[in-house]
This record gives sequence, structure tokens and C-alpha cells, in this order.
Amino acid sequence: MTQKSKLILPGMTRRQVVKAGLAATAVAAAPGYMRTAGAATPIKIGIPTVITGGYAVLGSHVMRTAKLVKKMKDASGGVLGRPVEFLFKDTQGKPADCVRKCQELVERDDCRIFTGVVVSSEARAIMPKLDEWNSFFISHGNGDGRLTAELLVPNFFRANTSAPMGARTLALFLKNAEQNDFYAIGSDYAWGHSSVGAFETQIQNVGKNFAGKVFAPVGNKDYSTYITKIMQSGAQGCYVALQGDEGRAFYSQAQQYGLASRVTMVTEIVAQANIRALGKDSVGLTGSSRYPFTYETPENAAFVKRFTEEYPGELPDWSDGEMMQALDILFAAMEKADSTDAKKIVAAMEDLEVTSVKGATLMRKCDHQGENQGFVVRVSESSDYSEPIPQILNIYKREDVTPTCNSTEYAN
Amino acid sequence: MDFVGFLLTQCLNAFSQAAVLFFIACGLTLIFGIMRIINFAHGSLFMLGAYVGYSTVAATGSFWLALIVAPIVVGAVGIAFEKVFLSRLYARGDGGAYLMVTFGLAVIMGEMIRVIWGPHPHGVATPDILRGVVFLLDQPFPKYRLFLIALGVIAAISVWQFLERTRAGLLIRAVSQNAEMVQALGTDVQLVRTCVFGFGCAMAALGGVLAAPMVTAFLGMSASVIIDAFVIVIIGGMGSFLGSIIGSVLVAYVQVFGAYYFPNMALAIMYLLMLVILVVRPGGLLGKEE
Repeated sequence: MTQKSKLILPGMTRRQVVKAGLAATAVAAAPGYMRTAGAATPIKIGIPTVITGGYAVLGSHVMRTAKLVKKMKDASGGVLGRPVEFLFKDTQGKPADCVRKCQELVERDDCRIFTGVVVSSEARAIMPKLDEWNSFFISHGNGDGRLTAELLVPNFFRANTSAPMGARTLALFLKNAEQNDFYAIGSDYAWGHSSVGAFETQIQNVGKNFAGKVFAPVGNKDYSTYITKIMQSGAQGCYVALQGDEGRAFYSQAQQYGLASRVTMVTEIVAQANIRALGKDSVGLTGSSRYPFTYETPENAAFVKRFTEEYPGELPDWSDGEMMQALDILFAAMEKADSTDAKKIVAAMEDLEVTSVKGATLMRKCDHQGENQGFVVRVSESSDYSEPIPQILNIYKREDVTPTCNSTEYAN
Repeated sequence: MDFVGFLLTQCLNAFSQAAVLFFIACGLTLIFGIMRIINFAHGSLFMLGAYVGYSTVAATGSFWLALIVAPIVVGAVGIAFEKVFLSRLYARGDGGAYLMVTFGLAVIMGEMIRVIWGPHPHGVATPDILRGVVFLLDQPFPKYRLFLIALGVIAAISVWQFLERTRAGLLIRAVSQNAEMVQALGTDVQLVRTCVFGFGCAMAALGGVLAAPMVTAFLGMSASVIIDAFVIVIIGGMGSFLGSIIGSVLVAYVQVFGAYYFPNMALAIMYLLMLVILVVRPGGLLGKEE
């Protein structure tokens, strides 16, 4: 400060008074949310997801929905009056990398809340470490049924529909179908085995014959041999548990073989990304859906509207809806716990019921599995959209599609 | 399904798979044969071909035009890369530098594709004339796969005849054996190298366009195909064009029949084959041990 500066208040120069006045005016003029969410320390949420690699599409859905949710939450005052900060890390879908990235989030960023993990085997890898890290993990899309059964740990919850739940939904739908014999093809990793295993049990429970199964290696490109096996089986129906790049390759090649005219194909997850890439070749595909954006509720209509405004030309995929629901549940538990501490979130989330884009979901205490409704959809063309969309054929009650506690099995 | 019909369709499945693999492996082996460069970016060039093919089909509605445009565009990218980066490394004769530079190109190209086309996959529809199946011994077989086999055979014979019976082919073979001598005789070896690199990239792009209707164009498509291509080149012999044809067919047969009879070991069988061949003939089936 120069000696020429005048003291216009005791101990303060004119410039200091002007600066203080401007700062006070800015604070007074700022919208309410900026004074609350903006002033406090952000709530850090780690998103160890697939940014590069074979499942990058699913990771991109996770990130775009998280970014949208941040905008929506911060604009409405944040969570616990604090803004939300998502920390994105690339795991490439590899369990070891996922563990390493989570460790970095804990040690470098003091971030102890995780979601957005794409691959079930990644989820399995980090779950045993949660207690050591004093961290909390809510699954938005991990399908392996065992995560809420024999692999369950206290600091883990699953908000999404699991593979057994998807298979169960489909089996209930197929109970009255004209097809009697079903074959199954799955991806040769945790989710694929879990999904096919659940379908095998469920389809037999509804009185149908399970003709056999085959698993294709992760990253497989040529499905001609598998299509041959499906045709050889003589089954009238085929359950497909292939996702992402593998799913699209299978459906593209199945279309070239005319498989759909011989065998009715049903799948555990109908994904909009696959529908878009396959175009008209996807029309007629039937399956369960973890989240169909065509579900008509006020909560979902608001989400779809906000989503399409934010991302013109895009439609929410199943993983967008599941991510939205997982974050809604997470924030509701934080508000209930009035804390971001892992243990307090766990206590608050047990038996918490939240209505989000998929309807009301109960996070049951016994095994930390979210009880979700089951949707069955058929891909159809629509004059309202430039691409085929999933039309809902049936919705099953959450108590009918959720397994018994700590299990992948059903009582009936 | 009777056994003869099954065997026929499985063999044809393997040949169609071999055709796609051949397009990427032959470029890889030619580039190695002439330039002694192991091109790590070859898978990314294959992927770029698929994306350029997708854009061409989206813009013009013509798959056939995509089969012409994608190789030209990717071939031009390859030539530019060779001129700007690789040509500066020839004097050093450092194989490690080639590896690093082509690996860098692969990473950059993957990111550029993500920026230009986005992370989402893009489908390329099978042309109408190639949709549907034909029945062979009462077994349905896709017309598109028959087209792949036909195109693969035509391309293989054409390139083979070009290398064996034309003056340009003679020069290429001569450069691969003794570049200094060819240079001393007044041939522009640098031009030969540039052309071969561009041609190899164009072949990879053609493979990418042909694969797109079967797998769609997606960001991960380079990773798996480059491994197959390297296995083929190692089996056939580094730098051997005929070896790349034989390697493609062998790998495709092992993949197709392995997936049928030993589904739990489908991937391992391919590597087992490579190991056996390397033990028996360390230079590959038609390669020279250096």
C-alpha cells in the first residue's frame, strides 16, 4: 500500500472499502443457490468408469448423466446445501485399474463415495476394499446377481435391476409364449454367466425347456459358429446376454443369417445405443429393459425432457436412467443421514424408498438390493422419433422380480 | 443339420472370417517386408476405414462408394504419416523408434475418431443386394459372407499377381531384399516405401469397411483385430505375402472350429497354434529366420 492512499474508515483505505463494498453487493445480488451450494465444500463423488475401451459407450452414459445431474442439483441448492463434484477416472473396464483408481480417489482426493462402475468384475474387485477405505459404493448398473448375495459387503448397495431380475422379468413374460424350447448365449464373464444362469433357472420354473447354452469370449467378433449352434439346437427361442460391442456384432450377424425368422430372440437388456447402431434391423427385438425412457411417469417425463434439452439428438439409454435413479437414491440417503459419512449413508439407505425415473424403488435392508419394477419392451418404429424405440409391453411388480434376500433365487 | 452341410457352412464361415483378416494382415506384412516397420497403428487404420465408410454411407447411401472412398482417404492418411514422421527415422534404422511412433499414431487416431465421431457406435447397413441367405445343402448362409469370400479371393490373387508379374511388384520385392542395391540402380526407394505404406493402410481400411456391417463401427474395434493380425503375420512369416494368406485362413479356421468344439478355449487355441508353429519354424511358415 502506498503512503498516498487515504484512510477513509479507521484502519482501511478507500480502495479496500470499495473492494469490500463490491464483494458484499455481489453476495447480496447472487441467487440463493449460489449462496448455499456455491459457498460450501463440494460433496465429492468418485466415478471410476470406462472412458476408453470396449465398454466406453456405457461409461459415456454414466458421465453425461452425472454432468446433467450436477447441473440440476447445483441449480436447486445442492445436496445438504453443498454443490456436487463428480471425479471421473478411466478404468478401461479392468478390475485392477478400477481398484487403483478408487485407491487414488480415496488417498489423493479424500473421495469416499463411488458409483458409475460399469463392469461387474470391477465392482467385485473394489467391494472387499470398501471397509478398509471407509467408503461407500452404490451400483448403478452392475448386473452380477452375486453382488447382493454371497459377495455382499456392508458398504455396498445396488440400486439397479440385476441380471437375475432381468431374466426373471423375461421368464414371467415368456410363461405364456408359444415357444417351448430356449437356448442361451452369453458373454464369458461375470454378468453373462449370471444372466444366463438366472434365465436357465427361471425359464424352467415357468415350465419351459432349456435346450442349452454357450458363452462367447469377451471381445469376440465373429458369431457365425454360435449362430450355427443356436440353429442346431432346434430351440424356438434364444436368450441373448451380450452387451455393447459384442451384442451389436451378434445381432448384425444374426440378421445376416436370417436367424430372427427361425428363432425368437429375447434379451436381458434392450439398449438404445444398440438400437441406434442397428437401425431397422433392431425392430422386433424383445427383451427386458432396466430402464425404458418411454415409461410414462411425471418424474421420468421431467428427466427425459431435461435430458433431451441438454443433449439434443440423444435419447436416454438404460444406463442413463439407472444412473439417474442411483444418484437420486444416494442423495436421498445423504439428506436423510444429514451426512456424507459412509457408515451413516449405509444406515440411512437401509429400507429407504425413493421415487425416481423408474418408479418407486425400495433399498431393502436384508441384502442392500433395490427392489425395482420389471419392464418388458419390444423395439418398434415410431413416428415421433427418428430411430426405433422400446415400447413397453408389460410391467411386473417389484416384489415379483426381486429375488429372495441374499440370494439369486426366487421362492416360486 | 447333417454333418456335410454343417462342415460346408463352417468352412465357409472360416473363409469369410479369413477374408476380413487377410485385408488387415496383408498390409501389415507388406509394410514389414519392405520397411521393416511393425506398424502398431494398423488396427487404428482399420477402425478409421470403418468410420470413414460409415460417413460415406451416411452421406451418399452407397456402400459401394464407401469401399472406394475409405481406402483412398486412409491410404492418404498413411502416406502423409509416412512422409512426415516415418521417413525421418529411416536413417536411424531404429526399430524401437518405429514402434513408439506408430504406437503414438494409434493412440492419437483413436482419440481423434472419438472427437470426430463421438463415443457411440455407428451401424453400416448391409447393402440390399447382399441381404438375405442362400441355401447350401439346405443350410442357410449369408450372401454378405459369400461376397466377403469372393472379394478376399479376388484381392489376394490380384495383389499376388501384381507382386509377381509386374515391374512395380518386382521393384517392391527387390526393395524388400536389398534396398541399398535397388537405390544404387537408380530406383527411388523412398517412393516405393511410401507407396507400399499407403497401400497397406488402404487395405486395412478396406477391411474396416467390409467388417462394419458385421460388427458396426466402434471405438474398440482396433484392439482385438490388431492382435489377430499380428498372430497371422507371425504364423505366416513376417514379410511374406503368401504367408499372410495362409495365416489368415489358419487363424480363421482355428477360431471358427475352436469356438464350436472347444468354446471355453477358443482364444487359447489360436495362440497355441502360433506357439507350435514358432517352435517348429521360428520364422513362421513362409518367413525367413533372421
